[in-house]
Amino acid sequence: MPHRSGERRRKLAAAVLGRDPGPAPRAPEETAPYDVVSGDLLDVSPHLIILETAGGEQRRMVIAPWATVWRGGAVAPADLPAGAKVVVRALRGGAVAERIWADVTRITGVIREVRGRRDLTIELGCGPHRRERSIVVPYRSSGRIRVRHPKLEPGYLFDAIGLLDQGATLAQLPATSQPPYRATAAPPPQAAYVAGQTGISGTAVWADLPDVSDLPDLPRPTGLPNLADPPEDGVAKGVAYPMLEREDSGCDDAGVTCAGLPYLALGSLLRVRNVCDGRTDVLPIVACGCLTGRFCDRCLECGTSPRGRIVELSACSYVALGGDLTKGCFNARVGLG
Amino acid sequence: MTGPVLSTIAAAALPILVVTLALGGVAKLATVRRETSPGALARLGPAVLMPERFARPALYVCSLVEIALATGLLVVDHPAARWLPVAFFAVATYVLWDLRRRRPDAGCGCFGEVSAAPVGLRSIGRAAALTAMTAVVAVENATGLPALTAETAAWAGGGVALLLALSPEIDQSVSRLRHRAPCEQRPMPPGRALSRLRGSEAWRAHAGSLLTDEPSDMWRELCWRFFAFPAQGNAEVVFAVYLSGRRPAVRAAVVGADGHVTSADERRDASLRESTPVSA
Repeated sequence: MPHRSGERRRKLAAAVLGRDPGPAPRAPEETAPYDVVSGDLLDVSPHLIILETAGGEQRRMVIAPWATVWRGGAVAPADLPAGAKVVVRALRGGAVAERIWADVTRITGVIREVRGRRDLTIELGCGPHRRERSIVVPYRSSGRIRVRHPKLEPGYLFDAIGLLDQGATLAQLPATSQPPYRATAAPPPQAAYVAGQTGISGTAVWADLPDVSDLPDLPRPTGLPNLADPPEDGVAKGVAYPMLEREDSGCDDAGVTCAGLPYLALGSLLRVRNVCDGRTDVLPIVACGCLTGRFCDRCLECGTSPRGRIVELSACSYVALGGDLTKGCFNARVGLG
Repeated sequence: MTGPVLSTIAAAALPILVVTLALGGVAKLATVRRETSPGALARLGPAVLMPERFARPALYVCSLVEIALATGLLVVDHPAARWLPVAFFAVATYVLWDLRRRRPDAGCGCFGEVSAAPVGLRSIGRAAALTAMTAVVAVENATGLPALTAETAAWAGGGVALLLALSPEIDQSVSRLRHRAPCEQRPMPPGRALSRLRGSEAWRAHAGSLLTDEPSDMWRELCWRFFAFPAQGNAEVVFAVYLSGRRPAVRAAVVGADGHVTSADERRDASLRESTPVSA
């Protein structure tokens, strides 16, 4: 079954149910997300950074004196190599860079094979829609990774934050404590009949959603100021959601959750609120979260979240909502747009 | 119908009305007090018809009015206390009818979040039955708790049975007992919804204009499954099938290529839609 644009689906659903296809207005206690710019680094000096966005546009930004830069660890801005993939959290309409992450990647998958003695090479299955990945855990990071991932064995889940360096993916930091069960044995949600619930709290994580920018009809809802970002910013907005019907989405691994989520569709709008600082955005579901629902961990950022991952955000959406890419998650509350 | 029979019916209807009003008021109060997520009330009952900032006060007012009416029926010996409930239920019947026309996905909210199922003829029938009961009570000017006789008890039993039969909330409660998960969390193969669709009146009304029998797109959101079919005139017919209940609601609309709705099941007032923020 061909999938059509989320925009069209929303229009049709709104027409048949007589509802408004746009997102609801933001409530007073919710704040606007940050501006985010992402792209390839063209040039950088201690005070100025120049990026080329996915749309081919050059963006020049002043680096704030308090700005922090991450590339495998805290580095000086001028040490960033040209060509690095950069995500920038910006102030003042995208003119001032405040937080910069370079070549950061999220490594989430099911361990297929582990090789090596000093530097470990791990083959990961990242779900049917994401590629198989071969990653390296360098010896200097292996202690930290092993403490949080005691079972580096085939069949178990792996989740780390890494660095893309000269074509290799190096795991740097553990993103969570490894679940003690195999990926195929995720516990079912608690048996509680809560019909018609309007918001679900849990853990929001980020992921490399490579297919976000590939979608030709990436929905761009209007109505909120931040959603009017021009696409040439290279800001890929969207979430991966675990509870999609397998027949509709073509995700054979979807429909697994331990957070008691309702079924939604590709193209549905989700209102994601960072519980820590109230930043809220309305984001479309653009991918299957085949592995998202298999993690029953909690997020410990500013309080403890209820158990279970509810959404995987694209890196840009995650940063826009106030998340730190080197910390794997934030506490979120998710409702329908 | 003779006078004594009417007065017996009034005596039987009065306690039913008092209990129904009090239950409705308390359940609405509980719902509105528990609600923390913004925009969440926008899928329940009269709150749907309000701009979002008035939704919460509207539900408060509605629940307090219900409790006041119940108290009035019980203790106030004045015709106004009899006739106000008639007006209330008559207006409620109209509002539900209108709600079903304009927002078929919204629940009636009659008993707070328990009444989350889309408004159907049963909810409207229940409001109409309650209007009739209040009218009998008002005509007979009954007040206070009546003396219990066999005849009154029989009429009261009949009234309760009628209201229960007209209550979609009972289905929800049975679902709670039968299923461990609510409908939006239960997997439901598209084939079953498609066969339900093909047995529906909405399908028969639009089948002639469809270019193919197979949907060009289908997807699911919560308890609704949507099917889109290409239709004549470069348009699409979209059907929405509710995934719970024995005779689920099926909605249809014809949407042009430009997204303009060329025909829906029933006419809807676009000006009102603009004031009701989205919820699914």
